[in-house]
Amino acid sequence: MGELNVVGKNVERVDIRAKVTGRAVYAADMDMPGMLHGKIIRCLEYAHAKVKSLDFSEAEKMPGVVKCLGPDDVTSKTYNQSVIDLMASEQEAEWMGDIEEQNIFTKHVKFYGDGIGAIIAESEEQAERAAAKVKVEYEPLPVYLTPEQSSAPDAVQFVPEKPGNRAFQLPAEMFPNNCLGWGDVDEAFKEADLIVEDRFYTPKQKQCQMEPNNYIALYDDEGRLNCWASCQMPKLAHVKLARLFEMPMSRVKFNQTVVGGGFGARLGLVMEPEVCALALAVPGRPVKIQQPREEDWLSSPSRHPSDYWMKMGFKKDGTPVAIDAISKNFKGGYYLDGSALASTTGFWLQGMYKVENLRYRGESYFTNQPVCGAYRGYGNPQTNFVLEQIVERGCKELNIDPLEWRKKWHKTVGDNSWIGFTQYSSCALDECLEKGAEAIGWKDKRAKYENQTGVKRRGIGLSVGQHTSGAAPMILEHTTCTVRLNEDASAELLLACSDLGQGSHTTLRQIAAESLGFPIEDVHLNVGDSDANGFDIGAHASRTLYVGGNAVKQACEDAKRQLFERAAKKLEANVEDLDMNLDKEIFVKGSPSKSITAKDICEVGIYNFTNPMTGEANGEAGQIQSYVSYMPDHNSPPFFCTFVEVEVDMETGEVKLLELVSAHDIGRAIHPAICEGQMEGGAQQGLGMALTEEMYFDENGKVKNNSFTDYKMLGASDMPKMTNILVENPDPHGPFGAKSVGEAGLVTPVGAVANAIYQATGIQFTEGPITPEKILKAIKEKEVAA
Amino acid sequence: MNKLSVNLRVNGRGYDLEVASNKTLLEVLRDQLNLPDTKYGCGTGECGACTVLIDGEVVNSCLTLAAAADGREIRTAVGLEKNGQLHPVQQAFIEETAVQCGYCIPGMVVKSVGLLEKNPDPSEEEIRHWLEGNICRCTGYEKIVDAVKSASKKMASAEVKAVG
Repeated sequence: MGELNVVGKNVERVDIRAKVTGRAVYAADMDMPGMLHGKIIRCLEYAHAKVKSLDFSEAEKMPGVVKCLGPDDVTSKTYNQSVIDLMASEQEAEWMGDIEEQNIFTKHVKFYGDGIGAIIAESEEQAERAAAKVKVEYEPLPVYLTPEQSSAPDAVQFVPEKPGNRAFQLPAEMFPNNCLGWGDVDEAFKEADLIVEDRFYTPKQKQCQMEPNNYIALYDDEGRLNCWASCQMPKLAHVKLARLFEMPMSRVKFNQTVVGGGFGARLGLVMEPEVCALALAVPGRPVKIQQPREEDWLSSPSRHPSDYWMKMGFKKDGTPVAIDAISKNFKGGYYLDGSALASTTGFWLQGMYKVENLRYRGESYFTNQPVCGAYRGYGNPQTNFVLEQIVERGCKELNIDPLEWRKKWHKTVGDNSWIGFTQYSSCALDECLEKGAEAIGWKDKRAKYENQTGVKRRGIGLSVGQHTSGAAPMILEHTTCTVRLNEDASAELLLACSDLGQGSHTTLRQIAAESLGFPIEDVHLNVGDSDANGFDIGAHASRTLYVGGNAVKQACEDAKRQLFERAAKKLEANVEDLDMNLDKEIFVKGSPSKSITAKDICEVGIYNFTNPMTGEANGEAGQIQSYVSYMPDHNSPPFFCTFVEVEVDMETGEVKLLELVSAHDIGRAIHPAICEGQMEGGAQQGLGMALTEEMYFDENGKVKNNSFTDYKMLGASDMPKMTNILVENPDPHGPFGAKSVGEAGLVTPVGAVANAIYQATGIQFTEGPITPEKILKAIKEKEVAA
Repeated sequence: MNKLSVNLRVNGRGYDLEVASNKTLLEVLRDQLNLPDTKYGCGTGECGACTVLIDGEVVNSCLTLAAAADGREIRTAVGLEKNGQLHPVQQAFIEETAVQCGYCIPGMVVKSVGLLEKNPDPSEEEIRHWLEGNICRCTGYEKIVDAVKSASKKMASAEVKAVG
């Protein structure tokens, strides 16, 4: 690869000036003439109930009210707000058992906050006041908050298709005996010298993106349904809305507004169906829904909590002989991605270590909790919390250094990847581990912190992980990209790839500029417009840079090839002998005077005037345009590790985060500062999952902490000193060698901090988050036992 | 609802307005003055997305009644740019790539300006403590803290130049 001009440089983010000045327009900032306001009526009395009656008579009389809508006033067609079902073939979806059981407004409330109707009014305040006047009569039903409760034989069934309220188990058609894995686990355990086994709980963590959910929809005079929203996956939202409202996609327009964070919460639909249903009820007038923050915990998907059991066998020398695991996921009230999450949780397990025998069973059960869907890491943080603590205990009991154990047993190039049937194409985890260990001073600290006494005890912990770059070949991967060269040889790219804040519009622009050989200022991305943009899956599975980047690269290289072919004719040279400088002069290598500008070629292509004397064209006709419909068959998972150092106060149970070092094998950093940003932000969320973040419920299923005061995330002064190391080991498939970095940053801090607390206290915590209360309780129990 | 006559000075411009007595400054900025740069994040003073400066003090505009800001000098993110020049804090946020989704950023920028006006040379600990109350879910705060440090240096050297 030659010298790179744009890739690898910290260019200014394309969106950053608008964001620092406050001029970026989010959905809430939009106003339209004649705009009405919608308010969703949510059930805040019960977590499980039948709606017996809905009385709008008083609400209708309130000032400004335009319409009141209940379940029978909108389409009765059901849907699945997730979009994972669109990414599997019909046969696979049938085996996986994906269902569409959600209604826009429900008559069977499945969780605290489930939507049962809506008010449309002239102002937001009027809509809210009218909503308070709606009279609802409920028939309460028993509340189930765990898989154990909802799968009891006499429990009320959530849907007829899922007996026992088991939303999902790995299907026998694809996974013999409903298990993932290989070898003979039961036999292998007989050979083990040490067996470590425990049952864990991983918490219901909320994405807490800073922009609340806001929407506008308009059913316009042309008969088109327009929706403005900060969805992560605008093209899949487009098709889902068209199907739900039974309209051709050409009559539905999805406009992606600036996305104020996603992290999975906006992976599929959130309130797009509701706002569109409201707009259809008032043709010609836009309707806006602005969600209060306290409802965000209720109405958008969270991470799946899980009841996760694991057993691992080792030989005396540390050789891992078998892993057996069962992950039971709490689904919440509706199915969403019930199949995919319970599967990937096991995939991350099978992708990590060289173990001869492995068995994983993944299941999901309905519960009366707000829905669970995608959250950054998609099962990986759960597996990291469990697997890495089990490994740590094994190493401790066998007196093996946990860093050396991981170096010896992690999978690498040529080993079967997390996908199971493809092999890793690159892996620089050893380099990550070496650099990370050195940066934090692992060896000295690890030795120093053994056998401490006193009130403040320090510990250092480590965790490794691997993630994904896109969803191929498991489920659908596809990005289209069109590149058009304007008459002045600037480039316009049409593509639907999402930027949720992770910076993909900047990094994709870098890839485009590099591939075209143009200055970055000459490249523009036209995004977020479903009329203009072709198909793309959207932002999930850490795919945008890897898959979208390759799509952009191919399309741009093709446009450049066309440009060079025309130049070759003009210059009477071979394409291979041409080169282009940053002034976009195409010249014959070795004879720079033989040159033509890209602008001259592009201009002639569009304004193809003929010579009035000879009648001959001035050059090749036609605007240069290229298009790719890119469907990769490969995947290049990144590898990474995190080291965390903590100080635990044995009298209060408080954990002070002293230092965190992460090192990621990212293939190539297209924009180093953006890569670091993913790791730094991921650390805040991963440490939060391990230490403070969980949605709590009372026994009636009411959410107890839907506010930023009661749902504690780490603030600026809670964060440790951080060092994030980018290890560049170009992958053969990634664009310019790049692999993903988006989700990965969250994963390994989870296991690393748990292991650091283990070293400091000598206690493993199987239930997340590891709060001071739990630590103090465990310390006291240990004292009593001693 | 009672209406009150107020005079708000926002980003150097005066507005004579009738505001409902229950309206917050955030609502009036966004809905009446069409200044959506100040964001709603929680409405309960927990996230800091709505931070503005009132007479140089940082304030959660979602907890401040508009009427209480009568006659006072309000500054928001969109007003920090002077004569086409970004504020050094905004410039530092750009240079440090301290922005991801951007939703918390107007509040973060205003909060940081409020700090540096009071304390031109804050320690890292002081910066982190000051930023408590402004939640960012994207950046882990690392590059935001770097940006405030860098802005502090920039402003100090600009001061020296101006004096010199």
